[in-house]
Amino acid sequence: MPVLSAEGVGKTYTRGEAPVVAVREVNLTLEKGEFAALTGPSGCGKSTLLHLCGGMDYPTRGRIWLDGIDLGSLDEGRLTRVRRRQVGFVFQSFNLLPTLTALENTALPLMLDGASPEVARRKAAGLLERLRLLHRLGHYPQQLSGGEMQRVGIARAVCHDPLLLLADEPTGNLDSASGSDVLELLQELNRSLGVTVLLATHSAEMAAAGRRVLHMVDGRIESDLESRRPIAGHDPGD
Amino acid sequence: MDLFRTFILRRLRKEKLRALATVVGVALGIAVVLAVRMANQSSVRSFETALETVAGKTSLEIAGSGQGLREERLLELGWLERFGQISPVIEGEARASFPSGEREWLKILGVDILRDETLRDYRLVRFADRQQSPPPREFLELLSDPGAIVLTQKLARRYGLDPGSGLDLDIGDRRKTLTVRGLLLDRGPARALNGTFALMDIAAAQWLFGRLGRIDRVDLRLKPGISIDRAEAAIAARLPEGLRVQRPSRRGRQVEKMLEAFHFNLTALSHIALLVGLFLIYNTVSLSVVTRRREVGILRAVGVSRRQVAGLFLAEAGLLAALGCALGILLGGWLARGALTLTGSTLDRLYIRSAAEPVSLGPEHLVLAFAVGIPLALLAALVPALEASRVPPTEAVRGADRVESRFRLSWRQRWLPAILSVLAVGFACLDSVDGLPLFGYAACLAIVFAVAFLVPVVLHVSGRVGSRLTRRWAGVEALLANANLSGSIPRISISVAALAVSLSMVTAITIMIGSFRETVQYWVEQTLRADLFVAPATRSNVYSESTLSPEVVRLISTNPRVAAVDPFTSFNIDYQGRRVLLGSGDFEVHLSHSGLLFKTPRQGQSAMRAAIGEDAAVVSESFALRHRKAVGDRLVLTTDQGQRAFRVAAVYYDYSSDQGVVVLDRSTFRKYYGDRPPRSLAVYLKEGLDPERARSEMLAGLPPESRLFVHTNASLKTEVLRIFDNTFTITYALEIIAVAVAILGVATTLVTLILDRKPELALLRWAGAEQRQIRKMVVIEAALLGAVSQGLGGVAGILLSLILVFVINVQSFNWTIQFHLPAGFLLQSSLLILLATAISGIYPAYRAGRMPPAREA
Repeated sequence: MPVLSAEGVGKTYTRGEAPVVAVREVNLTLEKGEFAALTGPSGCGKSTLLHLCGGMDYPTRGRIWLDGIDLGSLDEGRLTRVRRRQVGFVFQSFNLLPTLTALENTALPLMLDGASPEVARRKAAGLLERLRLLHRLGHYPQQLSGGEMQRVGIARAVCHDPLLLLADEPTGNLDSASGSDVLELLQELNRSLGVTVLLATHSAEMAAAGRRVLHMVDGRIESDLESRRPIAGHDPGD
Repeated sequence: MDLFRTFILRRLRKEKLRALATVVGVALGIAVVLAVRMANQSSVRSFETALETVAGKTSLEIAGSGQGLREERLLELGWLERFGQISPVIEGEARASFPSGEREWLKILGVDILRDETLRDYRLVRFADRQQSPPPREFLELLSDPGAIVLTQKLARRYGLDPGSGLDLDIGDRRKTLTVRGLLLDRGPARALNGTFALMDIAAAQWLFGRLGRIDRVDLRLKPGISIDRAEAAIAARLPEGLRVQRPSRRGRQVEKMLEAFHFNLTALSHIALLVGLFLIYNTVSLSVVTRRREVGILRAVGVSRRQVAGLFLAEAGLLAALGCALGILLGGWLARGALTLTGSTLDRLYIRSAAEPVSLGPEHLVLAFAVGIPLALLAALVPALEASRVPPTEAVRGADRVESRFRLSWRQRWLPAILSVLAVGFACLDSVDGLPLFGYAACLAIVFAVAFLVPVVLHVSGRVGSRLTRRWAGVEALLANANLSGSIPRISISVAALAVSLSMVTAITIMIGSFRETVQYWVEQTLRADLFVAPATRSNVYSESTLSPEVVRLISTNPRVAAVDPFTSFNIDYQGRRVLLGSGDFEVHLSHSGLLFKTPRQGQSAMRAAIGEDAAVVSESFALRHRKAVGDRLVLTTDQGQRAFRVAAVYYDYSSDQGVVVLDRSTFRKYYGDRPPRSLAVYLKEGLDPERARSEMLAGLPPESRLFVHTNASLKTEVLRIFDNTFTITYALEIIAVAVAILGVATTLVTLILDRKPELALLRWAGAEQRQIRKMVVIEAALLGAVSQGLGGVAGILLSLILVFVINVQSFNWTIQFHLPAGFLLQSSLLILLATAISGIYPAYRAGRMPPAREA
């Protein structure tokens, strides 16, 4: 059974009077352990598709199954619980809660799911140690560097052993050294934990990390290539 | 103006709830201040208006010691005619029962109509067509019958009475039926007291009030061209001993002075709600500045000056305050009626029978509301507005930094609370100013501000403790709530301070009232020893002039069940411009049965025994403190025989009158003031009798027309405490309003914090937080705010209560009360506050829960 499959998925927003189509007729399947990159110019619908796959929003047409569950059939509460257990999300701007320490930020999804504080903190600490952040456990986000913040963000995204890890421009706010660091980390987690990764990016280098590259234009997936090389002809400008 | 419209008005329109909450907060504050002011004014004014209208053209009045002068002394006053027209009067009050079953107090003036017509303007209805006074002869005939009374047309219409109708009047413990002989048009004295005025012949009034042989005073209308000052001096120089001359307004001033402390304290209390309302303005403008730093940066970047930025936020405060004041005025008029009802019953019970003169909203109140509300609001908004003006234009580029800088203790937070506390102690040691505890309130204010400056420190510390506790013991919602609060200390400080301040006031007042109640209860237990207490049914307070008739006194004294009777006689005297109760009791009976609590000397009982038959008095603590008299000092009283000095034999605790009581032994009293009917009887039954049964049997043995209150010991004690509790209803009402305003502030702050934390909330939702969990988190935040406020408010409240009990109370009312901590009640109210603040979090929680999960935050 694929981890994720989407069938004829579309999303239309209504902004004022005019409807805006963000995603149209997307069909997509991701198997367990896959590492796929989603590329395309700004505004092509990458983030929207990521949100739909992660159960943060309902599609306006088509269906999405996550681990065999039809996300569209779930009510708000159930969808939240699926998100909490099965999905991890890495953001471009890290999105750590400024009032929580690195350790608390990491343990958050586990604690929200009802794990005891003790268990959640032990697991988060282990993960942060693996990410070379043991000396930063009690630090607040504003006391960390960009690379460190994103590593905490990743730790938080995988702390609860999700099936699917969604990353939206995870290196966009980082210098190149920290960027490659983060990319390596994602690949390493994909290998060692077997978590399925879907990574949205417009960096060619990042896209090259994916064994599979999906290219989106105007809300549609234009190409789906099993490749180790950047896609020719794609303009990585923002 | 355009910037104001786009930058401030649009935002307010978007945040209607916050704007509304602030406006309502200010409105409540203003309303309470106005309401108490109107109620206070009304109670004094109704008395003074009545006084003025009834006084008519009287310029001076000659009065005796306390209750009037003997009739024969009029002969010594013939020379007064040289100064103008004189008219002896009897003035009294009676409770009228109307055919409809309703009852109302009447002010009855007994005059010699032939003399009095030159002083007062009476117009009878049946002569109205001719637009002139009735010929004195006819008027005299109207009143010649001793059972005749003339009412006002207004009153007669209200109760359907006509000339010829009978009218039942209760005077003291007796009921008498008079006949309405005429009706007065609505002018002259008939305008007084909303028509509850009646006219009688002086002789009939003497008989009615049991004052045969005495008159209350002689009114004098000066001849044209004689100056009042000179006449007053000349008359004073010539008056025989025991009589004095005064202007009618002196009685008004006396009442004003008597109520001064009561009114002052109410006014001070009423300002707490306003203070909290102003905190709300500060809060709103601060939040507005804090959450819009980036926008302010952009404004500065495009060339808006610092002064303009400050002006914008001040204008926001001004607008909210103006709306609040306008709403407050409307609300105030309405609240004033409630305040009048609440204070009215207290005044009736403790001071004077207050006529229910309706409160009215005058231009003075409109001016007051705006003149107080707007400048104070601008002052409150000044600090955040200046802060906004200091935002650099680079703020726009730096991007909105939602993370508060980590909290650091500033010198202000470190030293101001300490300095203010020292000031508070200093103020608390200072004496009252003209009988008003101004420094006591200054001490309270110092504590209040110390609390306000301490809030950030307390939040910081409690956040740390909280994070340790939640880490180990609590769920994720509590952890998040605590972290959220610790991260926004500068933003929540003001609302916590407002809540803490109002809660500290509530705590302080609860402790003060609790202490007072405990003291009164102990005092009542110790001093009320008699088995039965008998008083006229018309007696409403200690200053009431109702008396018991000799027949009732005789019947009760000779009742076979009775072991001893202690008749208490009293009347109001003027002592150095203040009203004081001069009383007399049987010291012998008192010493063998009752248990006065003496303050000084320690051997009060023997000191009291030594006073029997001597020119000596026992005085209440309030008299001793107010007039600075101690045991051994001499006090000079005006007696029927002129000025006499009395030695202060002992000072006793008394909580029945804050104006002071001077008590003489019966024999001494009789010597200087003659025989006066008693106002009440303390009855001691023979051993082993059941007081309830004795009471019923005693009542059965009295004439059927007697109108008496006969309390058993137990029922009187209950009654005393009931009156006590009634007295403080308004205090609680004012406090509850202040707390409600503060809780409104907490709710507003939470909503703003939530709007401000939108991205973080979305993130939480993304990370898998359910709506339920977000809501729980916000409610916990609200409860935590409540807990910190209550903790701080509780401690500050105990400090404030010490000032209330030992400084303000003593300086205002001149009696000491024992400190008592009503722990159970405080615990209960703390839990209630916690619950109330948690409830205030429900709406913000609902708003927070509705936020969708994150897009890119």
